[in-house]
Amino acid sequence: MNTRRDFLYGLTSSLGSVAFSSLLSREAMAKPGPGAQALHFPTAKAKHCIFLYMEGGPSHIDTFDPKPKLKNLHMQEFTREGEEQSAMSSGKRYYVESPFEFIKAGKSGADMCTLWENLKDVADDLCFYRGMQVDSVNHPTANYQANTGNQFGGDPGIGAWVNYGLGTENDDLPGFIVLPELAHPQGGAANWANGYLPTSYQGTPLRPKGSHILDIQPPAGISREHQRKNLDLLAKLNRKHAEEHPYHNDLVTRMKNYELAFRMQTQVPGIVNIEKESAKTKEMYGIGSEPTDDVGRRCLLARKLVEKGVRFVQLYVSTWDSHDYLSKAHGSLIPRVDKPIAALIKDLKDRGLLEETLIVWMGEFGRTPDNGVRSGGKAYGRDHNPDAMTVWMAGGGVNAGHTIGATDEIGAKAVEKIHHVRDFHVTLLRLLGLDDNKLTYYHAGRFKQLSQFGGTVIEELIA
Amino acid sequence: MWAYRPVERPEVPGEGHPVDAFIEVQLEKQDLEAAPQADPRTLIRRATFDLLGLPPKPVEVKNFVTAWKVDSEKAWEDLVERLLASPHYGEQWGRHWLDVVRYADSSGFANDYERPNTWRYRDYVIRAFNEDKPYDQFIREQIAGDEIGKREDTEMLIATGFLRMGPWEHTGMSVAKVTRQQFLDDVTDSVGQVFLAHALRCARCHDHKFDPIPTRDYYAMQAIFATTQFAEVETDWLPEENLDGMEEDKLYHAKRKKANDALLDRLNAKKKEYEAEWFSDRGLPWKTKEEAMKAGAKPEDLPEGKLFEKPEEFGMERIGRKWNNRFAWEMDRYQPVAYTVYSGKTRKMKNNYNRIPMPKNPMGEGELEKTAILEGGDPFSPTVPVKPGVLSAVPGGLDYEIPETVGGRRTALANWIADPQNSLTARVMVNRIWQHHFGQGIASNPNSFGATGKKPTHPKLLDWLASEFVAKGWSIKEMHRLMMRSKAYRRSTRHPDMATVEEKDPEKTSYAVFLPRRLAAEEIRDASLRVSGELNPEQGGIPIRPDMNMEAALQPRMIMGTFAPSYVPNPKPEQRNRRTIYTHKTRGHRDPFLEVFNQPGPDLSCERRDTSNVTPQVFTLFNSEESIDRALAFADRVLKERKGEGDEGAIRRAFALAYGREPEAEEMEVCLQHWREMEEVQKKAKYEPRDYPTEIERRANEENTGEIFTFSEKLYVFEDYVHDLQPHEVDVRTRAFADLCLVLLNSNEFVYIY
Repeated sequence: MNTRRDFLYGLTSSLGSVAFSSLLSREAMAKPGPGAQALHFPTAKAKHCIFLYMEGGPSHIDTFDPKPKLKNLHMQEFTREGEEQSAMSSGKRYYVESPFEFIKAGKSGADMCTLWENLKDVADDLCFYRGMQVDSVNHPTANYQANTGNQFGGDPGIGAWVNYGLGTENDDLPGFIVLPELAHPQGGAANWANGYLPTSYQGTPLRPKGSHILDIQPPAGISREHQRKNLDLLAKLNRKHAEEHPYHNDLVTRMKNYELAFRMQTQVPGIVNIEKESAKTKEMYGIGSEPTDDVGRRCLLARKLVEKGVRFVQLYVSTWDSHDYLSKAHGSLIPRVDKPIAALIKDLKDRGLLEETLIVWMGEFGRTPDNGVRSGGKAYGRDHNPDAMTVWMAGGGVNAGHTIGATDEIGAKAVEKIHHVRDFHVTLLRLLGLDDNKLTYYHAGRFKQLSQFGGTVIEELIA
Repeated sequence: MWAYRPVERPEVPGEGHPVDAFIEVQLEKQDLEAAPQADPRTLIRRATFDLLGLPPKPVEVKNFVTAWKVDSEKAWEDLVERLLASPHYGEQWGRHWLDVVRYADSSGFANDYERPNTWRYRDYVIRAFNEDKPYDQFIREQIAGDEIGKREDTEMLIATGFLRMGPWEHTGMSVAKVTRQQFLDDVTDSVGQVFLAHALRCARCHDHKFDPIPTRDYYAMQAIFATTQFAEVETDWLPEENLDGMEEDKLYHAKRKKANDALLDRLNAKKKEYEAEWFSDRGLPWKTKEEAMKAGAKPEDLPEGKLFEKPEEFGMERIGRKWNNRFAWEMDRYQPVAYTVYSGKTRKMKNNYNRIPMPKNPMGEGELEKTAILEGGDPFSPTVPVKPGVLSAVPGGLDYEIPETVGGRRTALANWIADPQNSLTARVMVNRIWQHHFGQGIASNPNSFGATGKKPTHPKLLDWLASEFVAKGWSIKEMHRLMMRSKAYRRSTRHPDMATVEEKDPEKTSYAVFLPRRLAAEEIRDASLRVSGELNPEQGGIPIRPDMNMEAALQPRMIMGTFAPSYVPNPKPEQRNRRTIYTHKTRGHRDPFLEVFNQPGPDLSCERRDTSNVTPQVFTLFNSEESIDRALAFADRVLKERKGEGDEGAIRRAFALAYGREPEAEEMEVCLQHWREMEEVQKKAKYEPRDYPTEIERRANEENTGEIFTFSEKLYVFEDYVHDLQPHEVDVRTRAFADLCLVLLNSNEFVYIY
């Protein structure tokens, strides 16, 4: 059966009389969604989440978790075999030092490589976590686990769960918006799927190029007046039909959708247009200059969407998968994201929004301290590592200015405050006022949840 | 725990049709009057969509209404018979089955490789429904076809492809034991959900919390598959298989492959140039790295990695290598290969990017797996050994013997599932059939018959149907006849006193009224094509590729280490405009048109489709080129067919095709008026021919350098692409009429059935 929430951008007023101001303003109060009758943790500060997903597995060793010991081991060879190893992780291997220098940033003295020229200025707003582990060393399965809790895919994305729990703040925009790169990540749209939750919780990608939403505009040659006339005829035929089926509620919902869609055609381009932002703001995000333009645009858009009341924005930056040429690849990726992300944090802070916005920075796994000898050569990179990684959070209720957990002296394994990613998910929900054990949905014979089977809050990450 | 009780055939509580007798008891209890019978036009539309997934043709409606007036009972029975005999029946009901088994044409995950031969399983399923293959036989073939058939029995080998329908891959980063365990977990859970309506995965780590399924049972079931191994086996083509279009498809595929080979050659030449330069700069005697390595050069005298410089070189080289491998494997699409299994030892899986051949001796190489309970489901933590067995809570399950021989385990499992004494099997299937006819299951979670699933609303009816199903030789078509001949199926969705029904039966489980339903994604596309006259009813064969939103089709998509080739449609309209069940289903790249209308993702078994009502559906159905193309073809068809019958004749024809009825006077008036108005609008509108790129440039992030690179791809199909009718090719009158047709295809009356 369809419920009212089943209707994506759910209209609250009657047909044809929606004040469009609601599209541009946001209601002050969060209203819980069907997944939570009331906030499970009413004192939670975060109402929104911007999830910066670094696809490919950024190297903790070369970003936020320096391992000087590797300098001594650099290029030393060893061999690894065993039935627990993959083809990638077995055979002849060698240790790799980080090509980057590190500093202690902010009052908190957070570790960062020197390429984080801007992020270092907001170091004290960040809470680093070095104890996380995941199950999979393959990208799509690890992506699925990071984004949905289930490494085999098919389950709802975190953004879907959060909207299911917190409900919507803006009836005219999707509550879960994805800002993908030009290319979709491994595993595709299943990373932001609604899974077994109703379709209205699906992540809506706002495309960086072409149509923001597929087919939001009619093909060339069809004017607005032209569409309006067709819609008028449709309304007439539908009205007569609805009169014959007065108890069929879906009919009215569907009629309203046509009107809303017609209005969205002109409204959405306005919302996603960042050209009207001040030159200063654009400069701050690195918009208009390289290598920051693309991520800068999307970070600024994420801020705008959160301002409009979108619950969950997920932004993808890919190709952190530096098996080879680590220095070159990470060396060009960090400057792509550094300035825009730092700007996002500063901007939210300036607008008083950081308090109520949770920012998460993570990839699907970390990287190994060693690398495989491949096709007879050493190309100086790192393989996948499910046992050690660094994630950080900022904003709404996080224990800012701290580094929690630790990895061993070469960064091979987490050794302190070790938690599975499911506990991180539980913590993320907790920061948004939701209890993973209560945020459940019946499917395939049981009540399912983001953490799959329940988990524990990582208390140290919470202020 | 109703589902574990043996099925006992209850007494039918009254006269008349047994289904109605059971339902009547409940209606009386709830003090509800049933709605009257629906009118014949509604009924033929309901039944035709239900059994064929297509709208009735106007002439069929006319004939039916005429026959109805003479003898409504006979007319109805004849209609049901005609529909059951239609070859399109298998396409519609096969689709329901493919939802449950998670059919797709690709493997999912990192590489999302094409599975070039799974389409043969799709056609097998369609044939099975059309032939009314007894359900017990259908079960046996899918679980143990390779064992019960003869080795060379192609049909049986194709059927067991069922066991491998889930997403699966093994890459260089995979651990063999882990991916093997993934398959074992997947197939155990899948067999549980599909045939027994029990998700078993919960019992992987602990005894099931809600159902009487101990972990031991889970691993006993899994032990049945411990000797099940993957193979892609060469067979003959079956005479029933459709091989049309293969030669042409292969031609385009070969062109793509050739272009990619040339690209690789160019880049390899470039690489050699760089290498020669590198060696000569250092005064070393070699020309290439390969030569140097053969000559035993010291590591410091070898270049690190590849000597490319530009992101384009790195990026294109990866594309070249990956595509070379993909395109080569995809050539199997044109080979009579069965995607199947055999019983034997487990060979050590290596990076899987090609056909897995059948070993000469299944008991030769590898390990004979011994199943044990796994601590926390971890394949590296075996505990207590377990023998093959079945679910102990199902009557007879505890004593049921599964042989420990290498072969025959699955046959024994299939026999247990297909046994009339199994309390789950028949109930599960009749419940699925009921759900598709009536819009809800008698037990409303068709994949969950355990303690957490909703209890049946009419348990006696469910049991009677289950026993009848077995009594009628597990004939699915007999079940259709039975259910569709009931009064309950023929009831109106409207009720003289709906307020009372709403009050007493808010969940609508009494069957006092029939439930309206929205068309499924495939039905929307197929019905539009049927109405527009473009539908090519050809059946079976290699997957087709219809037009897809061009931005989505060319969307760069990451596959392991690189980017997937673009989606390209078939060049000719008659190839593209076939039924949706034949479209290529790529797990990582779904058709947004179908996705938005709730076609389920193929990673989880779908017991019942969601029918959301969301705004993006409007964008798709009202704005997309695919929709607008249908409307234009629809208009053109009607105007050609009704030449000389005036505007009113055309509108009447359009209504007959789209709705199966005549327009009312008021409707005729507004439609005529709209047509005139739109002619004025269309006079001013300007349309350019659409651009079909034969080569595209795409941009993406390159992994080795972290920089953006541009890559181009030839799209050979667009060199010969025959497009569907376009606005610039028709006159103002046709275009204006197409606006009217677009409205009809978007209207509620078109997308809902009553």
